[in-house]
Amino acid sequence: MLPLDYLGGYPLPKSKASLLQGTLDMLILKALSLGALHGYGVGQRIAQISGDVLKIEEGSLYPGLYRLEQRGWIESEWGVSENNQRAKFYKLTRAGRKQLIIEEQNWERLAGATIKALRVV
Amino acid sequence: MMSKIKAIISFIHAMRCPDEIAREVEAEFRFHIEMRTRANIENGMTPDEGRHAAVQSFGDFERIKNSCCETRRSLPFDSTLLRMGLHITIAVLAGSAALWAVNAPHHDLMGVLRQLVAIAILTILFIFVRRARSRQRLAGEPASGILFGETVQANNSLTSDTSRAPSAKITAYDEQGRTPVERMFKS
Repeated sequence: MLPLDYLGGYPLPKSKASLLQGTLDMLILKALSLGALHGYGVGQRIAQISGDVLKIEEGSLYPGLYRLEQRGWIESEWGVSENNQRAKFYKLTRAGRKQLIIEEQNWERLAGATIKALRVV
Repeated sequence: MMSKIKAIISFIHAMRCPDEIAREVEAEFRFHIEMRTRANIENGMTPDEGRHAAVQSFGDFERIKNSCCETRRSLPFDSTLLRMGLHITIAVLAGSAALWAVNAPHHDLMGVLRQLVAIAILTILFIFVRRARSRQRLAGEPASGILFGETVQANNSLTSDTSRAPSAKITAYDEQGRTPVERMFKS
């Protein structure tokens, strides 16, 4: 499995890595906007909603979840999983929902601008 | 607002009970490995293989755990303003103490001592300011790359504490399930 920094084979500068980290945050927020999930479920849901194109490594997923929780965009509580095991469930907060809207708008603008730039002949 | 308060309470709890936080993180990761093991077994692996593959795919358990614990122990807001305020307060206090010592009469032993104290305070203040400025220079590399309205603001707010977190790792597969590098080499 390859880090996002190396997509396309070129290492990205730190500033771009943080841009991509913002993308990871957005994906986590999006996954949780569909309902509360444990960490494993978040990874599965991202894979599912991206049509199995994106796979988040655990080494990025969990620090991402903790970072978002620390920012107050998601919150967690211990519960019981589908297998009757104790698991930590994450859910989106109101601030997280607002943040997701902002992130989605920014992403759409960025994607739109990039496509526009690529179409210039 | 409520979520911010919860984040601050969580931060205080993490500072007071670091061991409990570490245990919680471990329990969460064990659950993840357990779920991955079950999925691997359902996909045809033996229990041992499934467990081994799950542990392998999880990566460096201790590093991820430390990263999560570190995040829980970091301030839930941007501490730049707080630090700046602290620096200004210390500088004002030190400056006032130095002025007081310099203005005091110094024709006796106590006066000379006061002057020495003033010189010491000013030297420490100078070193303190120099260190703070060099730290700021190291931390405050200008954000280059894509500048994009609110996105930049959002990303800049992330930069301060994401530098300690491992970089995002996402793999983009194509229709044939190949990674970008595999595509590069096999095409």
